[in-house]
Amino acid sequence: MDVKLPQLAEGVEGGTVVGILVGEGQEIKKDQPFMELETQKAVGSIPAPVSGVVTKIYVKQGAEVMVGQPLIAIDTGAAKAALSPLKSAERAPASVRTDASSSAAQMEPVPSGALNEFRYESKSGIPPPAAPSIRKIARDLDIDLNRVKGSEAGGRITLADLRAYIQRLQQLALERIPAARTLAPSTPPVTASTDQVDFAKWGPIRREKMSPLRRTVSRRMIESWTTVPKINQFGDADITALMALRKKYAATYQKKGAHLTLTAILLSVLGRALKKHPRANASIDGSGLEIVFKDYYHIGVAVDTEGGLIVPIVRDVDKKNLLQLSQELQATVEKTRQRKISVEELQGGTFTISNQGSIGSGHFTPIIYAPQVAILGVGQGQAKPVAIDSKIAVRMMLPLCLAYDHRVLDGADAVRFLKDIIAGLEGFGEAEIKLK
Amino acid sequence: MEPITTEIAVLGAGPGGYTAAFYAADKGKKVILVEQNPRLGGVCLNVGCIPSKALLHATDIFREAKDSARRGIDFGSPKVDLEKLRAWKESILDKLGQGIRSLAEHRKVQIIYGRGHFEDSQTLRVETNDGQKFIRYEKAIIAVGSKPTMPHAFDLGNKRVMTSTEALELPDIPENLLVVGGGYIGMEIGTVYAALGSNVVVLEALPSILTGVDADLVRPVARAAQKAFQAIRLNTKVLKMATAGKQIKVTIEIDKQPREEHYDRVLVSVGRSPNLTDLGLENTKAVKDDKGFIQCNDQQQTDDPHIYAIGDANGGALLAHRASKEAKIAVEAMLGESSTFENVIIPAVVYTHPEVAWCGLTETEAKQKGIEIKVARFPWGASGRALTLDRPDGLTKLIIEPETERILGVGIAGAGAGELISEGVLAVEMGATARDLADSVHPHPTLSETLMEAAESFFGTATHTVSRRE
Repeated sequence: MDVKLPQLAEGVEGGTVVGILVGEGQEIKKDQPFMELETQKAVGSIPAPVSGVVTKIYVKQGAEVMVGQPLIAIDTGAAKAALSPLKSAERAPASVRTDASSSAAQMEPVPSGALNEFRYESKSGIPPPAAPSIRKIARDLDIDLNRVKGSEAGGRITLADLRAYIQRLQQLALERIPAARTLAPSTPPVTASTDQVDFAKWGPIRREKMSPLRRTVSRRMIESWTTVPKINQFGDADITALMALRKKYAATYQKKGAHLTLTAILLSVLGRALKKHPRANASIDGSGLEIVFKDYYHIGVAVDTEGGLIVPIVRDVDKKNLLQLSQELQATVEKTRQRKISVEELQGGTFTISNQGSIGSGHFTPIIYAPQVAILGVGQGQAKPVAIDSKIAVRMMLPLCLAYDHRVLDGADAVRFLKDIIAGLEGFGEAEIKLK
Repeated sequence: MEPITTEIAVLGAGPGGYTAAFYAADKGKKVILVEQNPRLGGVCLNVGCIPSKALLHATDIFREAKDSARRGIDFGSPKVDLEKLRAWKESILDKLGQGIRSLAEHRKVQIIYGRGHFEDSQTLRVETNDGQKFIRYEKAIIAVGSKPTMPHAFDLGNKRVMTSTEALELPDIPENLLVVGGGYIGMEIGTVYAALGSNVVVLEALPSILTGVDADLVRPVARAAQKAFQAIRLNTKVLKMATAGKQIKVTIEIDKQPREEHYDRVLVSVGRSPNLTDLGLENTKAVKDDKGFIQCNDQQQTDDPHIYAIGDANGGALLAHRASKEAKIAVEAMLGESSTFENVIIPAVVYTHPEVAWCGLTETEAKQKGIEIKVARFPWGASGRALTLDRPDGLTKLIIEPETERILGVGIAGAGAGELISEGVLAVEMGATARDLADSVHPHPTLSETLMEAAESFFGTATHTVSRRE
């Protein structure tokens, strides 16, 4: 049987083969990983669905593969006979035979994107079954019916099968237009207006292929930018007291193997603020007719990795104390930087923090990570002169920007929400930091 | 002389030629149909399918009447009025010929009667009763048909040595008739004469009659013929023929021993050859294949871009319905359509007693080509309808692709097999599976049920037989 790239997670359409862990003729056990794949934001391994002998490897390292595309062929029949390796090697090419098991496999529907895989094979050499009217249409369109998988009994090709095949051809043809090169067929092109500019006209250039991650980021940004009516709300939080507390307890946290960071504190603050402002934790339903309120608070934290921006999720921030949040955040960031995070761990966020403080940013306007409706952009806290009770004082001020989806949050909602975040930071109590 | 111009010229008004002419006219083309015989319809209508089937039907009543006696209804002994029988047969041919003529008139297809000859790739010269006429055409379709082959050694110039053409004229009822060639023509005409009372002897050089047909389908025919005919001699050759007064002296070879026999008439049915002599093909770019038939591709195009060829002139299975299908393909190809003869299923029917019909892949062909198949059979002895018709001498079989259970071929021997085979054609053309056929309800009691039951027997569940389960 052919092992095809399974649907790894919602919205993941494909990836790049970064490692092949088996060889042709090699025995493989069920659930044994046979391939490593970089998918959008993670490197994961793909387990074998059955035990058997690998008879064919269809893809090469570095190849881009899509869901449904055959990766390797496993001869399950050979598994039993595989006691002697020689025998299994002999049997290997026989996987194309249409014995009972493989003809059952032929009956599976063809997933989209997989066009080259199917070829009608009949020992009798008689062409594939299709009504004369269907054969006539295929002839008129110059379609080779041997490549069209029939869905009816005996592999008979119906008009619907032919139509589906042609539609896939069209879809693939569209995807192959270089400017629109993206893993997701239905999304708008990554580069909307820069189609085929010859940059070399003005000087030397260097081209670098966009990684799947970069393409995903690019696609998501366009999606968000073109679909979400966004407003940026600025604010500053006086974190002088908070920084003092942080300094006081940093060593204690260190002993527990955790960094006490501003981001961890923000997670804690946001857990409370989001509970108070449920609209900021909501999403618009795909139908565009409903707002989905979520009774869970999973906050994404933008992490700068070598490969690019990745946003892992810290879950249920409202149910965790600061130590737990600090530990979890630290572990998650570490895992992300090492690209060991799974696709599932990147999904399900309800709100996002983008903290650029560590690299010295001031105010900036982040892009909302749709379908979330708000994101908090955090800059670097800086000592600034501030008037307090008509007196100038030097305070540590944290630049904040709340970007929000105006379809869900009104200006007043956003202001109140941001003020609660600021109040949460400014009034962060020692009791919450102190370890019991 | 100013030539007549036309878009399409069709040479020959048989089932290939008139179908092509009518279809092209229906598609809006200006068509001229050239035919040398005053009665349209070609071999099929004049000296083939139609007269032979008329005679087979008329004479089968003899056998039916005889068989009826043991069912309790006795007709006594029937009398033959040969002149009336001939006239009735002729009336059918006239009616059909006239029908084609009026169908041509309605379509404004011009018919020119006379013998056609190609002057060049785009010009036909026709020798008519009113002198020569020239036709300048854009495309021509050769549909000139075939004629019975008469080997020189048998061509004595004696009317007692007949081909199918003469035999169908029914000159008399010979007491002793020798049929040389046990193919479908010899067997069909032999059946007519045997019914009329002739002692018929069939000689076949090969080990079986109806060569090429699956052995199990031939068996009921051979069994019936052995009763109806005086003898069927297989592996037997004719060495010599000579006129001997009012008889023909035939020297045959049996077991390598020559033997002389005398017959009142001899029917030579050893094959057919295309009517391509004196056609002027050499003035065109069309070429013949090594068997002497016109060579053409799957779209019926010859090597001459202006000339198409259909029907018997191309060789292959010499069947009227194949010619008609090719006619449509040729016209569609001329109109730029992608039609092709590739993978078209052409059924065949032999009107013997009982009839044999098949379509698609045969067991014989599968064996020759090494194609793995499964065969599902249903014997008519288990069919209620066959028994009520007193015709249990039949067999229905399906040729099935094992992995897909797809029906690749159907074979039927039995009464009315020719009418039953079309369901098989539909099944094969549609890519039906044995399950499709088994699950389609067939009315009871009919002979068509045998197709359904054959399909059921493939699954080991035919109601009226006990199938061998694997």
